[in-house]
Amino acid sequence: MSRPAVSQHLRVLKDAGLVTDIKDGTRRLYQLDPAGVARLRVHFDQMWNQAMSAFKTAAEKPPIGEKHGKPSGRSRRT
Amino acid sequence: MANPVEEAVVRKSVRVQAGIERAFSVFVEQMESWWPATHHIGKTPFEAIFVEPRIGGRWYERDVEGKLTDWGTVLKWEPPHRVTFSWHVGPGHDQPDWVCDPDIAKASEVEIRFTAEGPGATLVELEHSKLERHGEGYEQLRAIFDGPGAWITILELYAKAAAGAQA
Repeated sequence: MSRPAVSQHLRVLKDAGLVTDIKDGTRRLYQLDPAGVARLRVHFDQMWNQAMSAFKTAAEKPPIGEKHGKPSGRSRRT
Repeated sequence: MANPVEEAVVRKSVRVQAGIERAFSVFVEQMESWWPATHHIGKTPFEAIFVEPRIGGRWYERDVEGKLTDWGTVLKWEPPHRVTFSWHVGPGHDQPDWVCDPDIAKASEVEIRFTAEGPGATLVELEHSKLERHGEGYEQLRAIFDGPGAWITILELYAKAAAGAQA
């Protein structure tokens, strides 16, 4: 594989969040992304799916005697 | 900016049958009424979630024992059109629980935009970006190298990314 091809492949990995790079003089050092950004992405993707769907349900409930401030406790927990 | 490969960004959008003012208010003032109970910091369930309504305001949870834990900070506050938070909750370096890292350089960003689509309908778009900033879990790096099939997973992800780049 040619050097430019390697660089191009590493660029793809970087854009995908799978590796990180550090510039060291004229060299560029790559390492696998420590926390696995791809995994983080999956986690947050699932979290926001759940959250946004629950938000939609809450926003569409008829407002009942809302006031500013917080409830003293949650009346219902799932 | 179009990027053909997967970015370290999560985007969601949802249309709600509610006016823009109400949609914004439910999002920032009544978060505990809809936030998934499974997602909280540490082992104790949250009781309430607070957003201080100003730039620089805190975004935090209070758990059932009264303990306060920060989730982030308000970066943009433009009610009822937009709110942006820093998000400091990431994987712990040496523990399974998710933790709050106060270092802004290691925080991702969550932006929520509200667009009125009539008097009783709002488009809500969410973008959770800069996820790579949470990438400091070096224990997990070892797990990636040592775990069974670890490289297979990485290569599959790579193949998917590379295929996307050529499309």
